[in-house]
Amino acid sequence: MRITNLIKPLPVLITGLLIASIAWGYPACGISDYTDASGVNRKLNQLQAGNSSISRIHELAVTPGGTGMLMLEIGTEVGSGDKTKPAILVVGNMSGNRPVTTEAAMNLAERVIADPDKYSGYTWYIIPLGNPDASTTFFAPVKFSSVRNFSPFNDDMDELTDEDGYDDLDGDGFITGIRVKAPDGEWITLDSDPRLLRKADAAKGEKGIYKIYDEGIDNDGDGRYNEDGRGGTDVNLNFPHLFKHFTPTGGLFAGSSPEAFSIIEFAFKHPELAMVFAFGETNFLLTPPKGGRQGSVDMEKISIPEEIGKAMGFDADRTYSMKEIIEKVQPMVPPGMQIDEGMIASFLGLGAVVNPMKEDLDFYNRISEEYRKYLEEKGVKEERFDPGSARDGSFELWAYYHLGLPVFSLDIWGLPKVKEDKKEASGISAESIGKMSADDFLALGKDKIDLFLKETGAPAQYSSDMIIGAVKTGQLTPVQISGMLKQMPAPRGEEGKGDPREVAMLAFWSQYRADSGFVNWKEYDHPDLGIVEIGGFIPFLENTPPAAIVDSLLNLQVPYLFELIKMLPALKISDTEVTAMGGGVYQVEAWIENENYLPFSTAMGLRNKVPAPAIISLEGGDFTLLSGKIRTPMPGLGGLKSVKHTWLIQSDKTTTLTIMLNSSRAGSDSKQVKIGG
Amino acid sequence: MKNFISTTIAVFLVMIPSLLAGQEIGVPLRFDSYYTYEQVIEAMQALNRSYPQLTTLEVVGKSEENRDIYALTINNSKTGEPLTKPGVYVDGNIHGNEIQAGEVCLYLANRLLTRYGELDDITSVVDRNVFYIIPVVNVDGRVHFFEDPNTPSSNRGLRRLKDDDRDGLFDEDFPDDLDGDGSITTMRKRDPFGKLKTDPEDSRLMIPVKPGEMGEWTILGSEGIDNDGDGLINEDAEGYVDGNRNWGYNWAPPYVQSGAGDYPFSSRETGSIGRWMLERPNIVMVFAFHNNGGMFLRGPAIKAAGEFPAGDIEVYDYLGKNSEKIVPGYRYLVGWKDLYSTYGDFADFCDNLLGSYSFVGELFQVETETFDGTLFKSSEGGGIFGSSNEQDRERLKYNDHVTQGELYKEWTPYNHPDYGEIEIGGWVKMSSRLPHPFMLQDLVHRNASAVIFAAQQTPDITMEVFEKEKIGKDVYRLRVRLVNSNAMPSVLYQTIEHNLYPKDIITVSGTSAKVVTGGKIVDIYRDRVEYKEHKPEVQFCQVPGFGKVEYQFLVSGRGKVEIKHDSRKAGTRSVTVELK
Repeated sequence: MRITNLIKPLPVLITGLLIASIAWGYPACGISDYTDASGVNRKLNQLQAGNSSISRIHELAVTPGGTGMLMLEIGTEVGSGDKTKPAILVVGNMSGNRPVTTEAAMNLAERVIADPDKYSGYTWYIIPLGNPDASTTFFAPVKFSSVRNFSPFNDDMDELTDEDGYDDLDGDGFITGIRVKAPDGEWITLDSDPRLLRKADAAKGEKGIYKIYDEGIDNDGDGRYNEDGRGGTDVNLNFPHLFKHFTPTGGLFAGSSPEAFSIIEFAFKHPELAMVFAFGETNFLLTPPKGGRQGSVDMEKISIPEEIGKAMGFDADRTYSMKEIIEKVQPMVPPGMQIDEGMIASFLGLGAVVNPMKEDLDFYNRISEEYRKYLEEKGVKEERFDPGSARDGSFELWAYYHLGLPVFSLDIWGLPKVKEDKKEASGISAESIGKMSADDFLALGKDKIDLFLKETGAPAQYSSDMIIGAVKTGQLTPVQISGMLKQMPAPRGEEGKGDPREVAMLAFWSQYRADSGFVNWKEYDHPDLGIVEIGGFIPFLENTPPAAIVDSLLNLQVPYLFELIKMLPALKISDTEVTAMGGGVYQVEAWIENENYLPFSTAMGLRNKVPAPAIISLEGGDFTLLSGKIRTPMPGLGGLKSVKHTWLIQSDKTTTLTIMLNSSRAGSDSKQVKIGG
Repeated sequence: MKNFISTTIAVFLVMIPSLLAGQEIGVPLRFDSYYTYEQVIEAMQALNRSYPQLTTLEVVGKSEENRDIYALTINNSKTGEPLTKPGVYVDGNIHGNEIQAGEVCLYLANRLLTRYGELDDITSVVDRNVFYIIPVVNVDGRVHFFEDPNTPSSNRGLRRLKDDDRDGLFDEDFPDDLDGDGSITTMRKRDPFGKLKTDPEDSRLMIPVKPGEMGEWTILGSEGIDNDGDGLINEDAEGYVDGNRNWGYNWAPPYVQSGAGDYPFSSRETGSIGRWMLERPNIVMVFAFHNNGGMFLRGPAIKAAGEFPAGDIEVYDYLGKNSEKIVPGYRYLVGWKDLYSTYGDFADFCDNLLGSYSFVGELFQVETETFDGTLFKSSEGGGIFGSSNEQDRERLKYNDHVTQGELYKEWTPYNHPDYGEIEIGGWVKMSSRLPHPFMLQDLVHRNASAVIFAAQQTPDITMEVFEKEKIGKDVYRLRVRLVNSNAMPSVLYQTIEHNLYPKDIITVSGTSAKVVTGGKIVDIYRDRVEYKEHKPEVQFCQVPGFGKVEYQFLVSGRGKVEIKHDSRKAGTRSVTVELK
């Protein structure tokens, strides 16, 4: 079953879901509520035509399937080569299988284009559908979730390409699953709901009954089913940050798909980009990008391999900071050659940054808290399953790590969790235990602790007696217990309950669909497998909300982007001062201020040196510069921070000079100062 | 009108040097001087004109400065279309200053074409292989290396603007040829507090002072002034995108890999050549010529990539160790291990994404620049970067007595706007990494021979049905043998490991015949066959280097049965047998 390989659930707030009584008419009539690729392009062209002075269409790429991937530019500087206003790049539905995220991007475009307040200060670049080819399977007569564009790919390395995709055997318009009784079957039905399956546990004396497949036949007669369907690259895995080669859907190399390449190329041609936003698989507002991954090199503690160390006079037994290494290597190179971090990093093979920089996590976490508060205020109470983590090679991670820009994302909708029956619940969580003293914990009593361990699916060896004993003797603290519990995988299929996500699917969709989103198992005479049953979850229901609630979801979430825009760094010259030092020498000072919350350059942007520095320059006037530079690059300035720049000049005359501040993504400013007189 | 006249005169004046220099380039090509970019194209056109049956000349793409990148394809169409033959791709000069790499490519083409039909070994590779030759990848770089003042090492990158000093201005502070000699050499200043003093053995060289000793000299870097008035000299020259860090395999951004470019294939040169190569999946052998050091480097280019499969290493060792002999003094080495790690490396792209064996040929050893002609061996053990003083003394003798002072600019006083009275001098542009033209012939011939040797080792496969036996009513046992007489397998081991593309395909078909079962023979004496359960009429195989594979098919029916072998790198072949 396709649904089984989904992300592990964790509790978070669900975005506001009003119980609507209108059923999502999928497939009969509701399809028209979502927009297919040609509809997106038509609507974009209409929007543009109605607002031609402030908008422009760019066809960034033509997909392997022949569809134009369009971008709508909105702003007062359309048509101008050199943009002076900060720009926001917005991409929707890069993986192609989340139609609601295309709707969100379209909705954003409509809001922006209708409101001068939204576009007069910014340029918007909006790509509502980043993977047009893959998106077609949602609208096709036979529906299945796909993330692949239409570049051919020989999945099974045989003599044919794209020759064995799914087949809608029962003719219901959905690719669901097949289950067939087999001697080597691994799956059994759930006691609580015989529609659902779980893996048999031989250790508990259970014997498997069914084998499961996706719906289809062995089209090419190689003994395998649906192993080489149409298409190749998941555009949202085709970006260069930690791109993985030789995966089924990643593409041959980063940027090998015209869709991804065109976006990458575009971004590097537009230094005015100040923020990137993705409507897609992740939700950085709810769940900030994750750290804690192995592999980043600490730039303060770099070890030098012995053979290199020996040749260059480094001690292999100690570590060096990047600065120390550069200082040591610089004199060894031919004159004129400037050693920089990149050279050292590549020479020593230090590799890429794999965790968000700490300073950046600070603003991510803070903004996430604000967003959660916002949802709470809007009355969003239900818990939903956790949004997906950003994948290596994804658009979001590339934009953060390679462009060095603040990147935010929304997945718009996640499956609500089934409310637990509270009657029997222990009322304890790993979280709450972490805050208890040993006495508090012991005071809970054996029954409550038993119930809690059962809820969390703790292994049998962790009995309440054992744990109570350990806490009493001080071998274990509540904090440690909490930590251990958090490490454990969420209970899946425990006690025959099945995959919580599948259970939640049925519970949610029963409100909208008579079939609860599930095609009941029905016998079918399969050409290769004999008598089988066909059935299972209807595709897309795990990430696509009923059309009836889409408006409320978008109204709740899309406007939050405008809150984020307000936080973009904005630089100005807040103050200047000229001090006569005597003898025609003057000290000129200028205070540069970042008026907004987000830093001018993320920490990652300072590390990768991609975002252009602001340039502070002195223009006009008749003077000799004694110290400072005519053009001073300023790579960074924290949110709500100020910094002073100082020049020492000499002039015998009365003169006026202009202090200029220029940044294409954080604004420009200038102030005149008078010297002498 | 006045404008028109002056323009005409100007155009005419510009033409004069090329008219003077312009004895038409004839075939056979000469290798007693270096070709400019325009002359490289003329040479390719001359070869193409002289051998229209064997060559195709085409423009693969444009450079950042809009120059044409030419490829010469050598293929004998009488022996088959290019894609049906093992392809040998050779390029050079991806780094703008590494110009002799272009000469190796031209020499190879010249050798193959002018001796075709004369020397059996040449005729055979031309008939059996297709050669794709791009003498100059960084065409802008070659032009600027010839036309602009340079050091032997400068002007390496592609001409994609980059703001190195991040001041908002792009490529605004190049080195400057202050003494107007066409080279960027070194600036030094007399300085009693300097860390260097005059070398007592050769007054042109400097040696470090001992602790406590007063100095004589401070080195001020490459010749230049502070063009943009920011207090730094020569800090924002061309680029820097390094053409050999911009390819799509294991690419890493500039903060990880210097010179990487903003994204894989961000430059027009790598992008157009990469696409062109991927359209030629028959390429099985790649040579990319660079300078210098005298090396045949193979991948992996980064340690984290892990070592190649053993089967591929065997092939590399065979080619590499023979190349070491063909070009004496050159060493066969592994990129990341023996040199340093490079992400986005061209050879890695070829190995991994094209599925071809790839060598980087680092041309020229500065050790050959000796007074007595023997290879220089250091007794001090030299520095990591550049040559040691001991070696420089020897090279200066070579400069003085063998090249009559052509390679070294004597120190000359100069009045510098920032530094005041200084001296300018040192090794000139056409030194240090390039052989003097009198040594060029030897270099291009031996390295082209290494390519020809590798071409001779591209897979050469024959197929035979070595047994046909009736084993039942209308059932026959067919045994098929594929033999590879050369070192390279029909598909790389690594390609198979990565599932880059399908292995060779054997198909058995007949209008009145059906394959009942079939598979690879693992033990012919005990009739042990790995039967393929589904679709036995289609088999997937690799024919190893210097080896064979055997397949067995049980076929029912009668009449003609065709067995076909189809290999991306080794072409196709078929055998027909009659069941009776």
